[in-house]
Amino acid sequence: MISGFSGWARAALALACAGLVAGCGSGSPRASGSGSRNGSVTPSASAVAVPLSTSLVTAQGTWAIAVMGGSAASANNFWQLFVRPAGTSQWSLATPPGVADNGGLVAAGTPASLVIGFRPSQNLAFSPLATSTDAGRNWTPGLLDADLGNESGALAVDPSGQALALLQDGTIQTAPTAGAAGAGQWSELTTRQALAASTPGRTCGLQALDAVSFGPDKTPMVAGSCERPGVAGVFTDTRGTWQSAGLALPAAYRGDRAQVLGLAATSGGNVALLLAGDSLLGAWSNGTHWSVSAPVAVGAVRASGFGTGGSMWLLLSGGHAETISGTGGSWQALPAVPAGTATLAPGPGGSYDALAVAGSKLTVWRLARGAWAQVQRINVPIEYGSSS
Amino acid sequence: MPGMNSGLSPDDPTLVAAFRTALLHQGTIALIAVVFLWLVWATARTWRLTAPSATPSTRGAASEAEVTADTTEADAGKSERGGPGEARGRWLLRIGFGVLWILDGILQAQPKMAAGLPSLVIEPTAANSPAWVQHLVNWGGTIWSYHPIQAGAASVWIQVGIGAWLIVGGRGPWPRLAGAASVGWGLIVWVFGESFGGIFAPGLSWLTGAPGGVLFYVAAGALIALPEGAWRSPRLGRLVLAGSGIFFTGMAVLQAWPGRGFWQGTVHGRPGSLTGMVQSMVSTSQPRFLSALLARFSSFVAGHGFAVNLVVVIVLAVLGAIFLTGRPRLVRYAVWFGIAFCLADWVLVQDLGFLGGAGTDPNSMIPMALLFSAGYLALTPLPQESAGDTAGASWSQRLRAFRPRMLGGMVASASARSVAAVAAVAVIVLGAAPMASATANRSADPILALAIEGGSTSLDLPAPGFSLTNQDGRAVTLASLHGKVVLMTFLDPVCTTDCPIIAQEFKQTGELLGAKDKDVALVAIVANPTYRSAAFTQAFDRQEGLAGVPNWLYLTGSLSQLGAVWRQYGVSVQNLPAGAMSAHNDLAVVIDGSGNIREEVGADPGPGTMSTKSSFSVLLSQYARQALGRS
Repeated sequence: MISGFSGWARAALALACAGLVAGCGSGSPRASGSGSRNGSVTPSASAVAVPLSTSLVTAQGTWAIAVMGGSAASANNFWQLFVRPAGTSQWSLATPPGVADNGGLVAAGTPASLVIGFRPSQNLAFSPLATSTDAGRNWTPGLLDADLGNESGALAVDPSGQALALLQDGTIQTAPTAGAAGAGQWSELTTRQALAASTPGRTCGLQALDAVSFGPDKTPMVAGSCERPGVAGVFTDTRGTWQSAGLALPAAYRGDRAQVLGLAATSGGNVALLLAGDSLLGAWSNGTHWSVSAPVAVGAVRASGFGTGGSMWLLLSGGHAETISGTGGSWQALPAVPAGTATLAPGPGGSYDALAVAGSKLTVWRLARGAWAQVQRINVPIEYGSSS
Repeated sequence: MPGMNSGLSPDDPTLVAAFRTALLHQGTIALIAVVFLWLVWATARTWRLTAPSATPSTRGAASEAEVTADTTEADAGKSERGGPGEARGRWLLRIGFGVLWILDGILQAQPKMAAGLPSLVIEPTAANSPAWVQHLVNWGGTIWSYHPIQAGAASVWIQVGIGAWLIVGGRGPWPRLAGAASVGWGLIVWVFGESFGGIFAPGLSWLTGAPGGVLFYVAAGALIALPEGAWRSPRLGRLVLAGSGIFFTGMAVLQAWPGRGFWQGTVHGRPGSLTGMVQSMVSTSQPRFLSALLARFSSFVAGHGFAVNLVVVIVLAVLGAIFLTGRPRLVRYAVWFGIAFCLADWVLVQDLGFLGGAGTDPNSMIPMALLFSAGYLALTPLPQESAGDTAGASWSQRLRAFRPRMLGGMVASASARSVAAVAAVAVIVLGAAPMASATANRSADPILALAIEGGSTSLDLPAPGFSLTNQDGRAVTLASLHGKVVLMTFLDPVCTTDCPIIAQEFKQTGELLGAKDKDVALVAIVANPTYRSAAFTQAFDRQEGLAGVPNWLYLTGSLSQLGAVWRQYGVSVQNLPAGAMSAHNDLAVVIDGSGNIREEVGADPGPGTMSTKSSFSVLLSQYARQALGRS
């Protein structure tokens, strides 16, 4: 026996030591953070990421963006741009060459051109651009020497060539002409902090910025999410002063926080997609007045986009899809989309196309007579391992 | 963890060959040192025995030396194989842990160890530990990954040396010093190699080796380092057994703690903690009979998880309680039972610890059994152990006897054990010195770059000329760089993978060249047919922090100009479809001041880790210095 220690004391000491060891050793693993770059939007009290998968329409044709290939963890996810030239019914691969696009593609169109922004990935910290005026046959390189935002509405151009870019850190940069944008000559227009400190920003309780666009008079517009319930965060730059664009939520949503998921220019106005509480709403402006659609119930939003005439579409979880034709329209549910559908796009003759992805294969389904019919298959020559 | 892992394959043939060569060279030097020491000793001894007489002035000194020598030899004689002069417990620890250290050293010499220790051993061990542990371990692992050959060889020789030192030590100061060395090295291994034995990570269990096998080496080393007088009374034995008792009791509580998955063989169809551990051991590369045995035990645990854990908890608790009593008769049976229990766990759960090509030691059970067995032997000293004298001459006596003029006599009169101990220390120094020297260098060993590239090609060819434009819009020709060494490569300014890494390697190369940097031009030529304007080279420079590097030139031109340079230097550049980056081969060339290509190096940065980047920079700076020497 050890002198000076009773058996009870030793036993207590042993238990204390064991408890200490157990306490040290039985902690739960740390939760790992996760981004939602390629994910989907689900209703939440705080701002949510906006999926990059989308489609848009220009005079050159209809464009669609979807991610293909393998896992993002092994840098085998490659974003692809497809185009269906105006007046045709066939899609083709139009991804601009020369840059690895594992970080995602962001598109902005004018009637005459389409600008693609490559989001940075891995060791690349800025965003190359590519502009096409011939339906994706040729591309002119451009440069945004900054980290382009992770939203499908992070880039906007107007017919004169003026461009807006929403950066990952909430800064908004502008280039006065297409030439300046190509040469990397961008300047700061505002920041999220500055906008949040402005009068309309304080009214909104601006949390995050999600989209940029141009108003009918070519004024820059910015949209985001508001902390204050019942306020929609759409702002317009009037001669250097940021003001609310005047979008008011219906009375039924006065108690809900709102986030603008998308904002685009239309002829003579703008169109926006809003998440208010648990509902999605379409909103249209004719330049002076906004009208807001009836709500559609939200699943997780996997993709969204705008068509011609203020139309918009939603791809939701569970194979659900909804479309709305424009001001005064109501949401119409589409038949359950085919498995693997990554994005929707306006099809020929007012129909819709569903672009379904399986690895490096793209299958185009077209909605005809109330059902989806397979109309095309494209094997995309993905260079697996080229970004690892 | 950043920095720790070089990212290279543990089986990389270049690294394996370099490791083998280093071990062979150091082994040869060690052998020569041992033979030399033996020759000196034998010669001095022969000379001393045959000397006819000593002068009066040296005679007194010789007498002093004889006092010391006689004491040492007497000690040595008594302590032969733990004879009556040395306590049995101390002898068991000394020989047992000496053998274990040598075994660990041999395991450390496995081919995968030099390149693979950080990725195969350190990283997985640290993965579940808190951030501060990972940070600390990462620091040590980074040093290893920067100098894998020196670190691997040092680990081999230090462990073999400590083991040999313990075994040959006998009595006196040598084994005590060896014990202290065992404590020091053991703590280094425990912290950096075992991440504190995983004590700060979830899933801690006695069954799998908590609190880290090397911690027992540390405890044993500390006991060996104690004055020998401490081993003459049963008190030390009681303390060792009390410590073991507390440890076993604590491990029993930990094993019984609910919610840790040890009470269930399976949880919702998935293996419980112990089942999972045994199953993971089954997949280790090992003899078939062993894997079959483990597979059967795994199935048994899966079906009887509660019963198995109950037995483990009870045994640990009972062993702990008996050790705490300190009653020799009880402890005797507990020791034999504990040894059997430890051996069973060693085979069935720990899978002997050292199989699979990446095992660094036989895990915790053998050292643990040695420790409590030594405690029992110390608790029950034999009469001659208790009656024995202390460790001979004191340190002060030995220091007083040590004078330069006495050195010859001391060498001649030293015991064989002392000479062997000096040889063991020499082996440790031999392994540690190159590592210490390498650690002083903050750059990685170029062997990593050579492993990735498989070596460079030495040339003496005129470099094809070019006329391009730098990032500031100024014309640059190769001729305009005459007199300077040109380190040149081809980079895509919008590349997401290799090119930024290669640019960083070039930047570091410039820093390594120091004052000679002004005589070297760091040149990159655009390797992208689309994104090639100065706006992109400038953006790339800003991204990589190269805008302020005075001798950095990022050159571009028209597609036809660039195409001509690509062709002349054998660089293939093409845009790939479907969102892939522009493809080109990674190449670096070293052009001397006369405009001749002296080296062509594959510039593929491999995994692009901190250590490989640093390694490439060292390699390029070496080539630049060679080219400067020729200019």
